[in-house]
Amino acid sequence: MGTALDRELKKGNTELLILALLEEQSRHGYELGKLISARSEGILRFHVSSLYPLLYRLERRGLLKGEWKPVGGRRRRYYRLTPAGRKTLLEKRLRWRDFSGAMNRIVEVRCA
Amino acid sequence: MLDWKKIVREKLGSLPLETSRQDEIVEELAQQLEAAYQEELAHGVGEVEAVRRSLRQFQDWESLRRDVFESVGGARLPVWQLNTILSPRRLPVWIALAVSLAFLALPSFRKALQILPLTNHRDAWSSSAFSEGALKQIEKSQDKQKYARTLAYVALHSPDSQQAAAAAEKAVALDPQLTWICAKLSHANYLVPGYDPTPWINRLKAWDPGNAYVYLLEAGAAVHSDWEAHWAKFSPVEDGELRRALVADPRWRIPMEKAFSAQRMDMYTDRQFLLDREVLLERGLDRPEKLLIASANMQLPDFTLVQMYVDHLALDVAESEEKAGHLVNALAIYQDIVSFGYKLQSRPTSVERMFSTRILDETFQKMAPLLRREGRNAEANAVESALAAARAEDPRSSIPAVPAQQSPAQRSGQMVMISGFFLLLCAAAAAVWLICVALLRTKPNLSRSMNWMASCLGWAPLLLPLSCLGLFLSFFPYSRSIAGYSSAGELIQTYDSLLAGVYILHLDPFLDIWIDHMFWPLIWCSAIMLLGAAYLSWMARQQCGQQSGLEGKS
Repeated sequence: MGTALDRELKKGNTELLILALLEEQSRHGYELGKLISARSEGILRFHVSSLYPLLYRLERRGLLKGEWKPVGGRRRRYYRLTPAGRKTLLEKRLRWRDFSGAMNRIVEVRCA
Repeated sequence: MLDWKKIVREKLGSLPLETSRQDEIVEELAQQLEAAYQEELAHGVGEVEAVRRSLRQFQDWESLRRDVFESVGGARLPVWQLNTILSPRRLPVWIALAVSLAFLALPSFRKALQILPLTNHRDAWSSSAFSEGALKQIEKSQDKQKYARTLAYVALHSPDSQQAAAAAEKAVALDPQLTWICAKLSHANYLVPGYDPTPWINRLKAWDPGNAYVYLLEAGAAVHSDWEAHWAKFSPVEDGELRRALVADPRWRIPMEKAFSAQRMDMYTDRQFLLDREVLLERGLDRPEKLLIASANMQLPDFTLVQMYVDHLALDVAESEEKAGHLVNALAIYQDIVSFGYKLQSRPTSVERMFSTRILDETFQKMAPLLRREGRNAEANAVESALAAARAEDPRSSIPAVPAQQSPAQRSGQMVMISGFFLLLCAAAAAVWLICVALLRTKPNLSRSMNWMASCLGWAPLLLPLSCLGLFLSFFPYSRSIAGYSSAGELIQTYDSLLAGVYILHLDPFLDIWIDHMFWPLIWCSAIMLLGAAYLSWMARQQCGQQSGLEGKS
């Protein structure tokens, strides 16, 4: 994922990635970075210096809610989806499905 | 045990946020670093290497700081909080501005600024240097010669013909050696209703009776004052009608006869150059382009009328003599024309030389066969050699059919123009930056757009000294004082190409069009654009408010 096109694709969908990972449960920043790398089997790597500003931006827009929770005698900041975040995730996911489906229908047509 | 919070606080620096929010951000980033560090240790990496790898996650802390603030605050980091090289908190921008100002101490740099198309009026006049007050001060200084010279300059170059006439009267009264300036007043005011140049011409004739130029001016004045209105009566198609009518008028014919028989031809260009140079230096205007324009502001005789008289001599008189078989008389007339042509050829400007070459060419062509018919072959050969030499002197022969490559001076001129353009752009941007930065210093939350502008224009103070250097270096080889030039020809040779390069864009018509036709449309468009931007901004805030409300309800 090193080309300019790859970067553009990733840039347009980072919000979707974060929102999707927080759909099931609340998570902290470090975990989100690790999950993106693990679930994409190392293909997608999220630079940490972009991750936190993105989380703060989503929080400011009301799509996420950050909360401090005690973990092992220390506190850690967890992020969860707000109702507005869930709505946005739904919209973005639908758009992604339409887009990826259309792309697949064109790109994979010879293999069919 | 590493204090990750301390490390983050040191590297990130302070953020203009609430302390509690800032602490939260520091703590969260510290946890990120610590988690990565622990993971590296768990993989068996050494402690020092683990710290290094952990910190490598945030390579550009200043960029992170800006991004974090923008994400949390929804606006750019205040310009006074920036830690980059463009920040007003750091020395480089102020050093750059100081260096730029220091360039103004260099006379060459100031001269370069003065010749730029947007700053220069491109005339020899300066209303401040030759104002009534300035003239009175010179008068009080008791330096009679200096006062007379300055008045003579006013007479030669003032755009106000009444002021010019009054100054000429005074200058000549103070120093009769300056009577030659009457030439300017004998010539250039035909279009002023009721203006009578005769007194000036008579004064000039009395002072310099052996000068052909004076009689050319007299002949020109006679034609332009009385004849111009009636020119339309003469058909331009019917050859010689106007010429014969003019010859019939002694007010024109007699001065022309005197001009052709005069011993010398002095258009006072050398005197004018020396006077212009001295006065400009005395008035603190060591400006080569002003001197160049002043030198070009000379009083050329009406060459159309001179050509008519040459035609009269050649076609009406000499050819009649030829037809009558008086070849010696015809040759004598041609010789008079040639003598006049040579007098003109010694002048420095190409206009006069082109005209004289034409006269010589036409006359030599008529003389050579006549001399051969007379059996004066040696003289005919000499005339043919002179014809070849005259053609070689023709300024038009040095103009190539295809434009040659630009001269180094013209390229320097273009560099001056380009550097000057960037300099003006950078200076304007730096001025806006400075105003924004000064206002934001006193009131940090004054305006988001002002902060945005100050952040965006941070490059201007740093680029300003570079553009100053570019302008200085491109003009420096031409920055010699006008005191070093001894003739108009030398000045033209040095500066003509340079100024052609500087003024290559001809901005005046562009600016005139914009000022005359586009000013108000531009204002209206800007107003509509601002209203639209304000409306969009209001809409965006409304949407943000609705989203917040939605979350609050949930």
